Amino acid sequence: MSLDPKETMDRRTFVKAGCVGSASLLMEGLKPAMGVEAGPATLPPIELHGLPKYKPSPLGMPGLFPGRVIEVHDSKAIVRNRVSQPIVRGLLEQAMKELTGENSVRDAWTKFIEPHDVVGIKINPSGAPACCSSPEIIREIVAAIRSVGVPARNIIVYDRYSYEIDVGSYQALLPPGVRIVGIQDAFLGGGVGYEPTVYCDANFFGEWESRSYMASIVAHEVAKIINVPTMKDHSAAGVTGALKNLAYGTFNNVARTHRAPHSFTNPMIGLMCSVEPLRSKAVLHIMDGMRQVWHGGPLTQVQDFIDQTGILLVATDPVALDTIELEAIEKKRRERGAPSLWQHDPSSITPDGGIFFRDSSKNLFFRQPGHIAAAGKLGLGTFDLKQIDHRLFSA
Amino acid sequence: MMMTAEKANSESQGDWPTLLGDSARTGRQEQVRLHSPERAVWQYRAGGAVRSAPVLRDGILYVTSLPGVLHAINAATGTSKWKFEAAGPVHSTPSLWENLVLFGCDDGKVYAVDRESGKKLWDSATQDEVWSSPVIRKGMVFFGSADGIVYAVDVRSGQPKWSQALGGRIYSTIYADENQLYLGCGDGQVYSLDAISGKILWRAGTGNGIDSSPAVADKLILIGSEDFFVYALDTSSGEVRWKYETGLGIASSPAISGDFAAVGSKDGFLYAFDLHTGKLRWRTVVGDVVTASPVIGDGVVCIQAGGTVALDMGSGKIVWKAGLAAAIQSVPVLGADSIYLSSLSGDVYALR
Repeated sequence: MSLDPKETMDRRTFVKAGCVGSASLLMEGLKPAMGVEAGPATLPPIELHGLPKYKPSPLGMPGLFPGRVIEVHDSKAIVRNRVSQPIVRGLLEQAMKELTGENSVRDAWTKFIEPHDVVGIKINPSGAPACCSSPEIIREIVAAIRSVGVPARNIIVYDRYSYEIDVGSYQALLPPGVRIVGIQDAFLGGGVGYEPTVYCDANFFGEWESRSYMASIVAHEVAKIINVPTMKDHSAAGVTGALKNLAYGTFNNVARTHRAPHSFTNPMIGLMCSVEPLRSKAVLHIMDGMRQVWHGGPLTQVQDFIDQTGILLVATDPVALDTIELEAIEKKRRERGAPSLWQHDPSSITPDGGIFFRDSSKNLFFRQPGHIAAAGKLGLGTFDLKQIDHRLFSA
Repeated sequence: MMMTAEKANSESQGDWPTLLGDSARTGRQEQVRLHSPERAVWQYRAGGAVRSAPVLRDGILYVTSLPGVLHAINAATGTSKWKFEAAGPVHSTPSLWENLVLFGCDDGKVYAVDRESGKKLWDSATQDEVWSSPVIRKGMVFFGSADGIVYAVDVRSGQPKWSQALGGRIYSTIYADENQLYLGCGDGQVYSLDAISGKILWRAGTGNGIDSSPAVADKLILIGSEDFFVYALDTSSGEVRWKYETGLGIASSPAISGDFAAVGSKDGFLYAFDLHTGKLRWRTVVGDVVTASPVIGDGVVCIQAGGTVALDMGSGKIVWKAGLAAAIQSVPVLGADSIYLSSLSGDVYALR
């Protein structure tokens, strides 16, 4: 499908959408949060090609509970950097019941999962072992999905790079039968591959390959996706949360959207999440806040920048969830004297990754936390903090 | 040459009872004092990432690569002797026994390939991927699978002898002594099985799943756990003799030589212990994250962690580094006059 650019873009954004699900959601246009100093003058035209004739699901983002975010906390959930399996179990059960209003955990899960579903669990292993989706939480999600009647073999834990999954030892730590899939091998091909007809096409910096393709298992194999992001700042996107974990873990060739110091993660993260069938299949987002990375993300291993916070956030609305995450990371940075993620001071930019990883006042890119609000404007969720139904529960 | 503790045990000619053949993880190579390598004498492109360790015998280097290829490479020239293609990706380090090269595959099979011809002699199927390395003792091949089952098959025919279900996925390579097998499991237990029947003799719990493979010497089993501890367990009972807490989980497999033991941790350190007491001898940062196993040469410990690092066994000081072979899961082969490295980028090197 092709839209008249004049009707679908603001002065900087030209989005041509083919079968992204609901093209009208693009009518408001996008507004990359870039000042003159913060990025190249123009955002290139962007083409989105979703899976043809895909029927959007009512479970798709923002899902069954737009604007609702459940946050549960237990200070004993992580002690000396070890996540407690039984406490995490209790936190997840409580959060699912609070999110759905159901009295039983199983009933809560059946709102999202059916026994015949093939269920993908999108983890975030980048940053392992210091901060990644906790295997303890993944175990509980697997158990919950199985309690609905889904066989272990129909559960696929996945991310892009298998070597990052290996570093997290997920393959050894998860229950037998569950499939663990690296969509691609980072070094020399391999992996389960990408769907050639579903892609985002844009040439940001003159790159030779201007397309990013959707993972085949997302396009074809899984019926539902449980998204398990972590709470981290991100050198290019501001934060990496539910939206970033989904978008840049589902499409390939995404590093090209940011070339220091400039970043087009806004609007690409939201746009990618809007492409069908990703939008429809991502039905639940369980954010692992056992640890919070407030500087050096997404890959830092420096424990000085990682707090052990012991929280879990659950939502069907990734925009609302990431808005809460952004607030939390901003608060943490203020407390530690680090500049705001919104700061676009050219003097804060360093080309030296070594300096960035040690100095919380430095950054590699002009960060783009505005990608969250941009995704909200695409209809993926609620980005106005005042409209977010943020419910906190603490043990 | 350094006599390893494991070699002191009674052992049939050709047995390959653990990952890389012995507890020192030498790959059964004779060892001479290593000097800092000065140059790469050859480079071989495996055509895909290498996530396993090479093994060397009779001048031929055997390397498995992720696209599912077993490569036989002339160690002197770096030229291919033959290639064997399995039906799935391969993460398993090969084992050698007489004329066989054995390795596990993500297609759920263990393959036995003729060392001379590169032809398959047999395969043995499981229900899930096999990343662990097969071990051979007394004519039996033992291996664990991600299906949570330990298998024993005849080394000459691949015919099943027994199987034993455990409580989690198995990525730990078995250690086989005269009568018992030892391995870690994703359910956090260290198991000992009877080698003849497969019966569980004892199990010992750790605080999280186990990705590490055991090394055994002087009636002690050393193994790491994702609970951040390295454990020394009594071989007869599983009783904890000592344990040591590192900063993060341990996927690395310990190496033992005499009373010296070393293991890497995901906290980036390589730790060295007194085998019998668990007293820390030294710890040295070797990378951001360590998941590979150390290998012990004559006076040095080598490990791959974003490069290849050699440390003095006595002091833990780094004596040389090589920027090649940023393989996080491979183990160098310390040959008499060369060091062989494989890498995630798919390159195999001979350094001299």
